[in-house]
Amino acid sequence: MKIRRLTLLGSVAGLCLLLLSLQTRGHASGAADALARVTVPVQSGVAAVNRAAHGVWATYLDWKNVRGENRRLREENRQLRVESLWVSETTEENLRLRRLLALHDRLPVPTMAGEVIAREWGGWVRSLTVNRGRADQVARLTAVISPEGLVGRVVEVRPGASIVQVLTDPASTVGAHVVRTRTAGIVEGEPRGTIRFKYLAREGGGIQAGDLVVTAGLSGVFPRGIPIGRVTAIDDRGSALFHYAQLAPLVDFARIDEVLLVTGERMQDLTAFFPGGSER
Amino acid sequence: MRALLALTVFGGGIAQVTLAPALRIGVVTPDIPLIIVVLLALRRGAETGCLAGAVVGLMQDVAGGGLLGVQALTKALVGFVIGAAAPRLSVTQPLVQVPGLVLLSVAEALARFALLKVFHFPVAFGELMTYVVLPQALYNGFIGAVLALGLAWVEAYRRRVS
Repeated sequence: MKIRRLTLLGSVAGLCLLLLSLQTRGHASGAADALARVTVPVQSGVAAVNRAAHGVWATYLDWKNVRGENRRLREENRQLRVESLWVSETTEENLRLRRLLALHDRLPVPTMAGEVIAREWGGWVRSLTVNRGRADQVARLTAVISPEGLVGRVVEVRPGASIVQVLTDPASTVGAHVVRTRTAGIVEGEPRGTIRFKYLAREGGGIQAGDLVVTAGLSGVFPRGIPIGRVTAIDDRGSALFHYAQLAPLVDFARIDEVLLVTGERMQDLTAFFPGGSER
Repeated sequence: MRALLALTVFGGGIAQVTLAPALRIGVVTPDIPLIIVVLLALRRGAETGCLAGAVVGLMQDVAGGGLLGVQALTKALVGFVIGAAAPRLSVTQPLVQVPGLVLLSVAEALARFALLKVFHFPVAFGELMTYVVLPQALYNGFIGAVLALGLAWVEAYRRRVS
């Protein structure tokens, strides 16, 4: 057994040494070529398998990276959307405040800006709560306006806030007239959330859809010439004493966020300070 | 069984040129054929170790493009010596396997260096030891221990199943 082992070792060692010595004399290239003929195809095959395995692994890593990146991009996209909304919201607010400030500056009467902090929209009552109250010397029946037109009047003053009855409140009535025809009447709120212009039939000749209705300024509550709405339809009641015209309010009461409270003189004519005031 | 043996030896030679580069740490690659030769010699004895070392070493010589027979001879010697000494060695613990493989790697490298010097190998010994032999020996020890533990686990599993 031992001899067999040693014989094997001797044979292997002898073969190797023979190969080595042949190579030094330049005669072993044939043996190398013969071995290469066996090993090279196998190596090529295994290398191909290896490359394929690497390819699969690389694909998996790519997929994993893409998944991670996708998740990251989704999160980034979500954040950017939020930021974009925030920016557009801020831009819109900025625009609204600029318009309010512009109105505040151009009006000849003193006004105070207020922010709408609550809305009562049940139908029985339609009101806004503004963050200006007793501490700001807000008086009851103060006119509340926006750059688009009349919002309503303050009906209740509290320590830190005021309740504004808007035009669409069923109990709201405002003296008004049509700018083009000078037809006088009353703008009333309706339970369904719309407003109508009630006027004497004999004075109502010529009112048309699209006519602008503004405050009349007779009651001393609202300054004259604040836009209220535009006529959308005429309800001709024949021989009845009063006729009605449906109005589309110029102010979107459901979306208004900032208002101006007219704190000073209310007898001035403000027609020229609002858009459409010169439609006569 | 012989086919499996041949496959292992042949696979080891192929793995050195395909798998080992993927296991590279820096510039250090493990000597997978040497590890296989040692593991085979420990289990199958000196003859198998010697033959496996010769075949796999020859494959490495061919793949490396150097002198044919250098690694065949050194690995055959390592296989033979380990196979012959296996009955007197207790190498079941990783604490023995790792240093054992490190020492064997160094010994094989020394033998290879000595043989190559006969043929005027130009590289300095110290440099070769520092940058090639010792790092590769350490890596061999680690890979060998992992392989040995894996084989031990497989054998234990087979025994439990059978």
